[in-house]
Amino acid sequence: MDKKIKKVVKQTEFYILCIIIVFAVIIQIRSGQFFTSNNLMDLVRSMIVPGIYALCALLSFVSTGADVSFPLIAALSAYIAVLAGNTWSLGVVPVFLIAVITGCLIGCINGFFIVRYRFNSLIVTLGTSSICSGILFGAFEAGRTELPEKLYALSKVNIATVKNESSGLGSALPGTFIIMIVLYAAAYFILNYTMVGRSVYALGGDEISAERAGINVKKVRFGVYVVNGGIAAIAGLCYAMMSYFYMPNEYAGAEMLVIAAVILGGTRMSGGIGTLKGCLLGTFLLTMVSNSLILFGISVYWEKVVVGAIIIIGTAISAMQAQRASNPFAVRRKKEA
Amino acid sequence: MDKTIGQKKKTLPFDENVRRLMIILVVLLIVTGVTKSASFVNLSNFQSIGKQLTEYGLMSLGMGICMISGGIDLSTVYVANLSGICAGLIFQMNLPGNVAVGCLAALCVGLLCGAFNGVLISYFHIPPMLATLGSYELFMGISVVLSGGSTVSTQGQIELLSSLTLLNIPLPFLIFIICTVALVCLMGKTKFGTRTYLAGTSEKAARFAGIHVNTTVIKCYMLSGLLAGIAGLISLSRLNSAKADFGTSYTMQTILVAVLGGINPNGGAGRLSGIAFAVVILQLLSSYLNQFPTISNYYRDLIWGAALLLVLVFNVKISQKSGKKKD
Amino acid sequence: MKENVLCVKGIKKSFGGVHALKGVDLTIKKGEIHCLAGENGCGKSTIIKVISGFYKPDGGTIEIDGKEYANLNTAEAISAGIQVIYQDFSIFPNLTVMENLAFNQVLAEKKKFVNKKEYRKIAEEAVRKINFNVDLDARVESLSVADKQLIAISRALLHNAKLIIMDEPTTALTSKEVKRLFAIINELKKEGITILFVSHKLDEVFEISDSITILRSGENVHSCPIQEMNEEKFTYYMTGRNFDAVPEKEKISFEERKSMLKTENLSAPGFENISFDLHEGEVLGIVGQLGSGRTELSLALSGMLKPFAGSIFLEGKEVRLNSVSEAQKCGIALVPEDRLTEGLFLPQPIYKNISVTCLDALAKMAGVLKEDDEKTLSQSWVDDIGVATKDHTLPVSTLSGGNQQKVVLARCLATKPKVLILNGPTVGVDIGAKYDIHKLLRGLAKNGMAVLVVSDDVAEVSALCDRAIIMKAGKFAGELKGEELNNENLYKVTA
Repeated sequence: MDKKIKKVVKQTEFYILCIIIVFAVIIQIRSGQFFTSNNLMDLVRSMIVPGIYALCALLSFVSTGADVSFPLIAALSAYIAVLAGNTWSLGVVPVFLIAVITGCLIGCINGFFIVRYRFNSLIVTLGTSSICSGILFGAFEAGRTELPEKLYALSKVNIATVKNESSGLGSALPGTFIIMIVLYAAAYFILNYTMVGRSVYALGGDEISAERAGINVKKVRFGVYVVNGGIAAIAGLCYAMMSYFYMPNEYAGAEMLVIAAVILGGTRMSGGIGTLKGCLLGTFLLTMVSNSLILFGISVYWEKVVVGAIIIIGTAISAMQAQRASNPFAVRRKKEA
Repeated sequence: MDKTIGQKKKTLPFDENVRRLMIILVVLLIVTGVTKSASFVNLSNFQSIGKQLTEYGLMSLGMGICMISGGIDLSTVYVANLSGICAGLIFQMNLPGNVAVGCLAALCVGLLCGAFNGVLISYFHIPPMLATLGSYELFMGISVVLSGGSTVSTQGQIELLSSLTLLNIPLPFLIFIICTVALVCLMGKTKFGTRTYLAGTSEKAARFAGIHVNTTVIKCYMLSGLLAGIAGLISLSRLNSAKADFGTSYTMQTILVAVLGGINPNGGAGRLSGIAFAVVILQLLSSYLNQFPTISNYYRDLIWGAALLLVLVFNVKISQKSGKKKD
Repeated sequence: MKENVLCVKGIKKSFGGVHALKGVDLTIKKGEIHCLAGENGCGKSTIIKVISGFYKPDGGTIEIDGKEYANLNTAEAISAGIQVIYQDFSIFPNLTVMENLAFNQVLAEKKKFVNKKEYRKIAEEAVRKINFNVDLDARVESLSVADKQLIAISRALLHNAKLIIMDEPTTALTSKEVKRLFAIINELKKEGITILFVSHKLDEVFEISDSITILRSGENVHSCPIQEMNEEKFTYYMTGRNFDAVPEKEKISFEERKSMLKTENLSAPGFENISFDLHEGEVLGIVGQLGSGRTELSLALSGMLKPFAGSIFLEGKEVRLNSVSEAQKCGIALVPEDRLTEGLFLPQPIYKNISVTCLDALAKMAGVLKEDDEKTLSQSWVDDIGVATKDHTLPVSTLSGGNQQKVVLARCLATKPKVLILNGPTVGVDIGAKYDIHKLLRGLAKNGMAVLVVSDDVAEVSALCDRAIIMKAGKFAGELKGEELNNENLYKVTA
């Protein structure tokens, strides 16, 4: 029991949880508004799309490196799906299917260049992101678009609503929350209980050993990027649903915060290490910070400064921890001649 | 990934990569000249090309330097914005001599932001991508606070900077050329440049060899910050305004330009002269496309993204061929 | 022949135009410990990869346990009972011990799902075989090198291995750990498992093997039972040359000479209270196994590591070495332990690797550096030290290990040091280059340089050094000089 407690405490995820609790308590003290039902529900609602994006970032970092293309893959896939849905009056399921297929196809581009030529994933995904942007705004000249009827109807469905008695503020949790839960559950199962999922971690840990063990490294890595495309597409539709309209300009720029969240949550840039709970915690922390500053009494103008500061402090701590872990002197001293 | 660098041949002055870019540039000039000679090949068009490329051209040079040192600078655009905002605010104060002070302030802001980045990366060992990600939020945030979230406008105090031409060459373009030449000499012919390449190749080996890696890295990011500051001033001069979220797509452009110019994103390889040519090529191409009103500006993104991937593949194929030749 | 677990004949393998194997034979009897020896580049790794099915040979036959295999692949090799333990162990540092042990097997059985209970069963069975007490849930990256190796061995045993191939297994082990490994190998031998042991360490080869095969340049040179082999023959077969002895060290006392480098109660992370006095023209050895603090000492003396107590004196004056470049300016140079990651810029040209330490000296006004000056400097050192290359603008990665080490030496000597510190100067270096480097060091010492050789290679220290200080667990553990400095005494003291 003692050993288990020690193990838990050593994990990065535990620290993030502590920081979240501390922040939450401070906010509660200052404003009395944090632990209100509507605030919490708002927070969860704000986490949905970044949370889904975080899966893309996690898979990419664990297996290879950075991926910055998911917001634009989301935008393009969602647009094509919405367009098709409007043109042919499609139902919800076909619309999602079209989005996912589009996303996966774009993911193939990432996979091809990253696997075949072993290019730096940051650069390739930047290129893909650019291409998606060009197609979306250049070829399609996409603008604010109405959602297909059935999708719009679904987007209005909320699985829960709360109303804060004292402030009169209400909040609703949309159905997309379930999509996020389902995705995370699937990810949890695949990453922990299937050999394919474990292979992703294995190849991120040591590619050569993975090859020697018989893992088809190229296939697995390619698969990761295809899957990322599909997940991004789902996130894209969810975002459109939660905004009740499809708005292409709202997508770009989301990647940086998602990456920061995932890194804060314990995912290593060098690969092989990263957990789902870390993603959720990191996303929650950053969402909490950006949403709750008002409750802190800090003007919205300072939001970016605070977020930037947290990212810097968080990554500094995690970098110093990594340094200590790989410090040859500390390790050597324990082993005697 | 293999880090191979273009070997400098004793006979020819430029790197293989750069020579290829020069050829592409010449071809492009010919194509554009022939197909759209009337509207394209005239002084004012070239002048406008020269003006437009300066801002992100300078930032690309900065990005290139950081990449050579083994890192990346995602905050460069926001440093430019912050510098522009600071200068603009000082101009608005209408104190005597404020033009000079404002410009100086912009440059100092650039240097300070760069130093901040450099310290995070070298002393705190934060991976450059994350450090500059955090700092870009920070800089953007400070910009928002200082500007009150709105645009900072000026009354043309430094308009000359962007409108002046010397011998028919726009001043911004001249500035770009001067900076390029200076930096090419700095990176290629000084011990600082050599140390930067080596630190970018292997930080550990650089330390063992006696190179002050921390100082070198900080200087690289300060240079990038300074270039961003200059870019911010030029932008302020051209638009008579500065705001916190201007030019967010420039970040990606500068990375694309650096990679197109032959800089290896893993560090330790590539020549800045390549960046200069890549910038000119891209702006030329962009301008050329403007001549076709049916092709919207947004296609630029598509073309650049595709060009990036194709150039990367092309580079690999070429080095494979030359590798075989050596046998 | 049924008494042989492995019989390969006439194996040929080429890559591009390079003939890695020109027709190699290897016969290993069942239940024996067979050593495969040869210099770097002789084809040892290639033949192993052919035997394990990783490479397909261009010619020759492979027979495992009497059965011939025409198109051996890795899966077939594994089911035939061949297991390779590579130098890097092929483990996943980010996964747990349990997962590392069970992963390959579950993967080989083409299972799609992970059953944690099954994993644990497999893992427990594996470690039981060699009585390895380890926390199955620990992440492998947190374990010592020796433990990682034991994980690799346990994993190999899971597959009913008939032949276990170990590639340079003792490189990163302390002497205690080597003993434990050899005990395990002998246990395995008792159970009828055959071991192919790749090594170039003479003493270990003689201690553990039953027979030996030596390769050179992709061809067989000699095979025989170990009793018929001795050191002289070994060296001859490995290199094809007989070596004149390295210039005899003059058996004089250096105490009268000027003190070049002296430490008093020096302590830093990794060692404490080390005091010694290195004199002009003396070659002093610092001997110790992995973990003895010897590397940390070399780092502290060259400015890489800050000591927290004690003092360093250079030519009698106290100095504080706050950085490597400061140490270089004082006249101390270090040839680091791991030349690939610490000593060289692999993709950079040879001349840049040599000139890197002299940039300040070569630079003109405003820091301007002329490449021609760099090249001139580099060429003179390449000629002086004898680096085998026709073109010093090629990347240093194109050189062999020995020549690479010479490049590192060149860059250190270019700073005209008064004290030269070397950590593991001939690790991974072929015998020819080893001889050249030793000759060079003795020559430098004769001309007045003070040389500090930090090493775990007992034979090297006794041949090269005038005096040796032994370190154990970060502390001073004895000194040997003059007549006492010989192999036997060193073995006794460092064991």
